[in-house]
Order: sequence, then structure tokens, then C-alpha cells
Amino acid sequence: MSELLPALLIVLPIVGATLPLGVGLLRENVGWSIAALVLSVEAGLAAWLAAAVYGGEGAARIVHVLGGETFGRRGATENFVVGIELVADAFSGLMVLLVAGVALAVLAFARRGGPRGNAFYSGYLLLTGGLMGLFLTGDLFNLFVFLEIVGLTTYGLVASDRDAESAVAALKYLVIGTTGASLYLLGVGYLFLRTGALNMVDVSRSLAGEPEWIDGALYGDPLVLAAFGFIAVGLMTKAAIYPLHTWQPDAYAAAPDAVTVYISALVSTGGAYAFARVTWTVFTSEFFAVGQNARILELVIVLACLSVVLGSGLAAMQRRLKRLFAYSSVSQFGLIVIGVCVAVHPAGGTQATRLAVYGVVIHLLGHGLVKGGLFATVGALAHGTGARRVREYAGLAKRRPFLSGSLAVLGLAIVGVPPTIGFLGKWYLAVGALNTRLWPVIFVVFASTLLTLLYVARLLEKLYFDGPAEGAAPAAGPEPEGPGAPGGADGAVITDGAGSLSYGMIALAVSAAVLTVLLGFAGSALTDAAQPIAQAVIEAAPEVSAGG
Amino acid sequence: MVLGLVPPAVIVLTAALLVAVLPRDIGHAIGIAATLGVVAISWLVPGGAHVTVTLFGSADVGFRAVLYNVDVFSRLMGLIFGFIGATAVLYSWASDADSTQTAFALTYVGSSLGAVYAGDWLTLIFCWELMAVTSTLLVWHYGGAAVRAGFRYAVLHGIGGSLLLAAIIWYLTDPAVVAAADGNPLVFSSHVDGAVEGGMLAADSQVPAILAAVGIGVNVGFVGLHTWLPDTYPRPHVAASVFLCVYTTKTGVYGMYRAFPDGHLWIAYMGGAMAVFGAFTALLQSDMRRLLSYHIQSQVGYMVAGVGLAGASVGYGGAKYYYDALAAAGAFGHVFNHILYKGLLFMTVGVIIYRTGHETLDEIGGLGRKMPLTAITFAVAALSISGFPGFNGFVSKGMIIGAAEKKHLDVLWYLLLLGGVGTFLSFIKLGYFAFVEGSYDGTVKDANTGQSVALVSVAGLCVLFGLFPDLLFELLPFQGEYEYHTFTIPHLAEGVGLGLIALVAFAVLKGPLHHVGKVPDIDYAYNRAFFYGGRALIVGTTEAYAAVDRLAVRFVRTCYWVGNNPTVAVQRVDRRLLGPGRAADGGQASRLYLRAGVGTTVLILGAVLLLFLTLSLLL
Repeated sequence: MSELLPALLIVLPIVGATLPLGVGLLRENVGWSIAALVLSVEAGLAAWLAAAVYGGEGAARIVHVLGGETFGRRGATENFVVGIELVADAFSGLMVLLVAGVALAVLAFARRGGPRGNAFYSGYLLLTGGLMGLFLTGDLFNLFVFLEIVGLTTYGLVASDRDAESAVAALKYLVIGTTGASLYLLGVGYLFLRTGALNMVDVSRSLAGEPEWIDGALYGDPLVLAAFGFIAVGLMTKAAIYPLHTWQPDAYAAAPDAVTVYISALVSTGGAYAFARVTWTVFTSEFFAVGQNARILELVIVLACLSVVLGSGLAAMQRRLKRLFAYSSVSQFGLIVIGVCVAVHPAGGTQATRLAVYGVVIHLLGHGLVKGGLFATVGALAHGTGARRVREYAGLAKRRPFLSGSLAVLGLAIVGVPPTIGFLGKWYLAVGALNTRLWPVIFVVFASTLLTLLYVARLLEKLYFDGPAEGAAPAAGPEPEGPGAPGGADGAVITDGAGSLSYGMIALAVSAAVLTVLLGFAGSALTDAAQPIAQAVIEAAPEVSAGG
Repeated sequence: MVLGLVPPAVIVLTAALLVAVLPRDIGHAIGIAATLGVVAISWLVPGGAHVTVTLFGSADVGFRAVLYNVDVFSRLMGLIFGFIGATAVLYSWASDADSTQTAFALTYVGSSLGAVYAGDWLTLIFCWELMAVTSTLLVWHYGGAAVRAGFRYAVLHGIGGSLLLAAIIWYLTDPAVVAAADGNPLVFSSHVDGAVEGGMLAADSQVPAILAAVGIGVNVGFVGLHTWLPDTYPRPHVAASVFLCVYTTKTGVYGMYRAFPDGHLWIAYMGGAMAVFGAFTALLQSDMRRLLSYHIQSQVGYMVAGVGLAGASVGYGGAKYYYDALAAAGAFGHVFNHILYKGLLFMTVGVIIYRTGHETLDEIGGLGRKMPLTAITFAVAALSISGFPGFNGFVSKGMIIGAAEKKHLDVLWYLLLLGGVGTFLSFIKLGYFAFVEGSYDGTVKDANTGQSVALVSVAGLCVLFGLFPDLLFELLPFQGEYEYHTFTIPHLAEGVGLGLIALVAFAVLKGPLHHVGKVPDIDYAYNRAFFYGGRALIVGTTEAYAAVDRLAVRFVRTCYWVGNNPTVAVQRVDRRLLGPGRAADGGQASRLYLRAGVGTTVLILGAVLLLFLTLSLLL
């Protein structure tokens, strides 16, 4: 039964996506309820899958072949897979949990704050299905398909405000995102040309020269090298690494608040996950150990370091909160990409690999949680007080203590202050980098904390230590915390008439902050969960299977 | 036996508490009873009694500590510490010391007893440090000039204690000690299995031995580390000086023997140097208690020399009877005797100060006729310390000098003899100028009843142990392992001869010696070094801190400004890098337009891709 779960997780939201439109013909405003129902079931399935993966000794690798075993592997394992495999292992299992959790939680925000209408919820469910596919697929071409599903639905959701700014942002995202995906597809095409396979495991084995019809390893082949270049550039575009990030701040800033929460938590995460997956288990560390191949990796590291430094700098220069945190994501994904590269860099030993893998996995999860929480908090504050710019945050802590507290906790988590999950991720990344002795990288990783503090400290200072600016206070006297408080001052972008704060928003923000701190104490559980991944990367194995 | 379970330190510390709260007479009576009780316990409790506990954990992970350990060394120390404690309390009572001072003094006595009855290094160092604290309190209690001297005393003993502690820690982790210790590296008590023999030299490393020698060297007054002695001991109450002159230095000698049971040649020579330096510096003093303090250093020098000679490997070892046993027994015998006569000296000088109010020899004279008892007991003590035949100092000093001679360490032997001349000389000076020469105007009474009892009983013991040295030999360690005859012709000739040389010398030097003035010791140099060095350190640290603080504040302020005015900051950098004249809006632009459009981004994308492909395929 658990073999069916990966397919169910993808199919359920996609099929569910037709319901709001279909049932919407009969009744108004059923979208939220249907989405809530479908995503609750989805969350249950995700939990079941996680239990199946992590329930036994080590971590299981659950494989589902679409179309049944007819299309699966025949006889010897050397035979290629004919059809498409969906794979739930230690890596994708964690990510599926994140997707299901975030998708369900963001509904709490969208209930009052989000774009309304059944079409939005169709898109929302479709996006969830796409993300599930992105994390679960074991096939390179199928990964492209899901990247496109995710991309197209995101373009649509970003534009769901129907105002000019978001339309332009969505268009920019559409063009750049599709270009990136196309580059990825070109890379996959090259790999297919050389190996005749699309399944990740098969491609990886072919690159290593395991099948008898291939003469030795293909790691030095120009076609394979070019393939990695195309794939890296394509996926770095999706993950918004400097200087390929330009779509991201516009899209995040222009999208409706609920959509920003969702895509900031998951969409770039999908790109970074795909990059890690392909780098670690398809190309593997052995690819980078050959000849001058490590140089490509170093080019990626250079861009990622630039991303860390310039992303933080640009974030510090922003006035609008949503743009600020968008640039913060550029910086944080820079860190994650550094970790991905450090893990397979020939300069690092086993220990560097292990720690870097832990760092990447924990920071992927942690960043999704923290950044989603930050956007939820920022959105809730905007709904509650109309404040969307940094200077409007002056003295807000007195009026919105809970939301301000969440913002402070989540902000410190993104800085990497213990005991938060943000600290854990950065800690492992930093120690992993230390083990490689690549000194510029180490410097950047440690400096990232200070750079992050640059914009977080400014926010905290405004919130807690600055009185309301002259004339900026929308209303005199204390406002009651909670729904119904008058909001929407000048120029706040509010759609569908949703201008008020809901308990759902506060609950989302506060629970994200609480979870951030709680997970900060779960370091050993998280590293245990990531241990099989680290083992696979160390052994350059194409499959993440039960770890020892 | 119940007595074997009650450490003497506990009794005395309890008494100290009672002395502090009870009326003065009752309190002092309890103090005397407690210290006499210590004498009784020390006498009665057989060797081998010990109390063992496990500190900081259970039996397998904790430290085994021996809080109370009775062997022949600690027993000897306990006997004499108890006896002199009792007479000193009596003397305090008779000399108008207040209850608080006596209470402090008894805590000091108690902690010293704790140190000499300790069976492991942890207990020893704990009591050792406690002794430094309580003695400092005893000095401070007097107020006035004693406070500053007490502070210097505390600093020096703090350093010494820390060095000893460092030595113990190093010793504990030394592989040779750990291997030898069988789980009890702290313990030196021979009654406990797995105790380490050989003291600090059991370690592979030389470091613990050096640290311990210097650390204990502070307490025993190594030359150069001795300045606290003449600095501190003349300052407090006369009765406090009686306590002080006994416990710290003698516990130091005991600790030195525990740390170096097999002796060391360097320690022996340091003892010789102390004997000479102390005696001749004393000769130049006119403050009576300061003179006596230098003589503590000199006499402790003999003991340290004895401890240093206590190893078979130091000098010639001997054939049938072992001269190292003779040296160790002599050292402990001299500890015993010295406590008697030095306590007595401080008491007699204390009586003079108590009755006249004068501290220096320049202001008194001719007191022998007015204070006959004091003069007679002083004479006993002076002859004892000088090692004149028939008095107790002759016995034990002779043992140490004899050991040095038999071990063929001639330089050391001459040093010790020379120290004897200096001792004779300075006590002839002290006695002559205080009791014989000149006259004292005004009425002076002799010692009062309580003081007289204390003086006479101690003086009696000095003579008793001088005439019947076998009584002392009964108490000393290594009985039967050495052979020593006290009253032989060479010994007698040596004792009398040294005295004659000193008499002749004094006749020649009498004039100059009377008016020497204040002679600076090396503390003149290092008090200044400490003061100015300390001031430089504090000013330097403060200024460095301020400089770092200024830099940090400026940096934070800049960051803060940049954070609040990012666009202006970027434009300033821009102008500085690319020169002025580029700002189109008068340099006050409030907005920085950085966004890349769709076309630009796709161009960048292409460029990055090109970079990757170039790097991977062409280079």
C-alpha cells in the first residue's frame, strides 16, 4: 500500500484542483473548503509516507513505477527503467512533509487575507500537486515537467491580484523562469543523448560507466560537462541565485500576501532541492573529482557567495518589507547552494560532506519554515496596520506585541541565533565549510550571519526602540490586538476587500515562530533523518537508501 | 577509639567560634583547653588513625581525600602546635588582646592543624589557603599600618598558594603519578593503599616540583620571597605576632617535606642561603620584632636545609646509619625547638613593647634590672636560638649541621656555621642593647602573672629539651635509623666556639651596629615594581579598552547610518570611486534604481551560461 503513496500524493491535489472550478459552477466560494479538505487528506498521506519512510530501521526507499511494473526494471538491475519512477526516500520524505504542512497552514492565512475565488484555489492545489511531483520524481525529464507545472501555476498565482504591478512581475517571472527551465531541459537532453536514460539512477550509473555497453566513466565527456553547465544555470535561475535572481523580488513583492508566503516557503526551495538532487545523486562527487571538473563547482560557489553578500546588501537597502525579505531569500539560497557544492567538492573529506549535507537539508527545511513565517507575519502586520515599509514599523511592537514578537524570533532565526532551526542549519553549513579549508567560502559563510543582522537588526530597532514617526501613525491611541482592527492606511495593496487581520494570520505567524524555536532543539533528530542522505553523498551512490 | 575520629582542627575551630561569642575570660580559658586538648589527642591517638572520604562523586569517579591522617610527622607538629597555641592564648589573655583577635588567631591555628593533619594534597592546599586567609585577618584586625602590610602579605601568599595549587594539579595529571597512584593520586598518607611516594618528584615532569618549591618557598621565606616576614610580623598586636611566628613558616617546612620527602640539593643550598642572609640582615635591624622576623627566615633556613638533605641521593648517603634520616629528623627537631624558643622570643619582646610601648632598640635600654624575669627568659631563648650547649637549639641545629658535614657538602656546612655566628651576634646585640646597655627612664613593671606563666613554662621546656635531648628523640621520626650523640667534644667546641667568635665580633662592631638606620630589603624594589607596573597595567588596559570601544562605537554608528541611508551611502561610495560630477540630481538622490528588466535578465542568464560552458569546455 505504501508503494501507492507517492503517486497518490501527486494525483490527489491535481484531481482536487478540478473541484473548486467544477463545484464552483454550482455554489459560490467553495474553493477554500475544498482546498482545506483536500490538503488535510494530503497532509495525512504525507505523514503516512513519512512514517513509512522513517518507520523502520534506517530510512526506507519507496519506489512507485507509474503504469505498473510493466514499465519497471526487468531482471538484472542493469536494465534501464522504461517508465517513470516516483521515489520517496529520506530526502524527498522530509520535503513532502514540508510541502504538505506549509500548504495546509497557508490556508489559514488565505481564509481572510488571500485572493478569493474558486479559480485561485484550483491554482493553489495544482501548485501543491506540482511541488509534490517535483520532490518525489525520480526521473530527470519528469522533473522538468513538474518544474513547469510549478512555474506556470506560480505565474498565474502571482498575477491573481489582477493589478498592473503583479501582472508585470508575473510576466517577468514567466519569461525568465521558462528560460531557466529550458536550459535545464537542454542539459537533460544532452545527458539523454549520451546515456540513453532519463531515470536519475540509470543516468548516474551510466555516467559512472557501470553498464557494459559504456566504455568507462563518462565524467570527462564534453557533452556531460555541458549538461551540468546547462542544468546548473537553469536550476540556479529557479532557485534565484545572484545574478539570476531578478525575477524573484518583483514576484514576491507583487504577489498577494498568501501567495508570497506559499511560494517563498516552497518554490525556490524546489529549485534548490532539484539542484542538490541532481548534483549529489546524478553527477555525484566522483564527477567533480575528475580532472578540472571541480572548477565548474567553484564557479557555482563564486556565484553563490556573491549571492550571499549582495543579497544581504540589497536586502538592507530595501524599504518595502516584502522586497527586503525577498532579497534575504537570495542570500539564504546562496548559502544553501554553497552547502550543496561543498558537500561534493573534492577538497572536503567525509566529515565536510556529512556536515554540509546536514546543513543543506536542515537549512532547506528551516528556511522554508522561517521565510514563510516571516512573510506571514509581514502580511499580517500589513493587514492589521497597513504598514508595508520599514519606516512604518516604528514602534509597532507596542500595538502588535505577538506579531512583533514573531517577527523578532523569526528574524533572529534567519540570522542564525540559537536555539532556532536557523542556527542549526547555518552551524552545520559553517562547520562543513570549515572542514574543506576553502577560506574565502568559510569567510562568506561566517560573514553571512553579520550581513543578515544588517537588515534584521534594523527591523528590530524600528519595531522595539523607535517611537512612531511623526504623522505616520494611522490612528491615535492603542488598538486592540485581534481581528477587526481597522487597517489599510495609505497605499496598502489589499485585494478582494480583505483589509483586516484574522486570528488565522496571527496563529500562523506565532506558530511558525514557536516551531522555529522548538525545532532548534531537534538537532539530533534532524541529523538522524538526514544521515542516509549524507551516507549516499559520501558513497557517491545514486540511491538514498537505508542508512547504517 | 573515638578520639581518633575527631580531627584537632575541628576542635580548635569550634573553640575559635566560642571565643568570638563568649565573655573574654571564659573564651580564653576555652581556647587554652582546646589547644591543650590537641596536645592530648596528638599524644594519645596512635599513628595510623585516618579519616577517608570521597569528594566530588562516587567511589569510582570521585577524589579520595584523607581529611585526617596521623603519622609521626603530623603527630610531632600537632603536639608542638597545640602546646604553643595554649601558651599563646594565655599570653594573649594576659596581654589585653581582645576576643575577636584571639578568635582569628585560633582559626589560624585550626587551619594550620588541618594542614599538618591532612593526608592528601587537596585537603592540604585547602587548609593552606585557609591559613593564608585567617592569618591575613589576624594581621588586619589590628588596623593602622598592619592593614597595608597585611594586604602585601595576602597578595604574596595568594601567589604562593596558587603556585602550589598549580603544582598539585599538574602533579595529579602527570602520567607517572597516575600510573603509580592506583586511583588515588591525591593521597600521600602512607596509611591508604595506592598512595604515591616520593612527593612532587614522583612526577615525570619537573614542572610540579618547581612550582611546588617556589609556592612553598613563599611560606618558608626563600631568599627573595621572604620580604613579607619582616614586613608583616612587626606590625600587629604583640600577641598576634606570637601566633604568626609559629604557624605559617613551620607548616611551610612540613609541606616542603611532604612535597620533597627525598630532599633536593638545591633546596638544601637555599636553606643555607636563608640561614646566612636572615641572620646577617637581622643584625642590621633595630626594630625588635623585625629583627626576630629575619631570624625566623634564618632558622627556617636550617630546617629547609635539613629537608633538602633528607634524601640518600643528596651528598654522601652513609653506610650503616643514614645521614638523610639524620637530616630529616634534625629538620623536624628544629621545627619543634624553634617553635618553643621563637615563641618565647616574641613573648619576651612583646612584654617589653607591652610595658614600654617602644618598638625599637634605639628607645630602650638597661631593662635587665627592671624586668629580671623577662631578661632571664630572653637569655634562655637567645641561647637556645644561638645553639649554645645545654639549650634545645644546640641539639637540633647540631643534627642538621652534622648531616651537612657528614654528607661532605662543605659549602653548605660553612654556610650553616656562618649563620650560627650571625645568630649569636644579633642576639648578643638584642640582649645587650635592650637589657644591659644604657638606662630607661620611668617605671617599668616586669611581666604580669599570665605572661610570666607563659614565659616560664616555655623557657623551662627549652632548657629541659636542651639538657635531656633523648626526650626529643622519642618524638622524632626515623628513630633508630640514624645515630647522633649530642654532647660530644667537637659539638660542644663548635657551639661554644661560634659564640666566642660572635662575642669578639660584637666587641668590635658594637658602635656601628647600634645606629644602622633603616636597611632596605628587596621589597623596596618590588613594592615599587608592583605598584608602578600595576598602575601601568591598569591604565594600559583601560586605555586599550577605551580605544577598542571608540572604534566599535564608530563602526556600529557607521553601519547604523548606512542601514538607514543606504542609497546615500551607495552614492557616496560611487562618488568616491568614480569621482564627482556624475550625480545628476545634485548629489541628493533619494532613490537608487537597480532593477533589471526582463531583457537584461535574459542577457545576464545567457552570459552566465556562456561563462559556465567556456569554463567547462574550453579551459
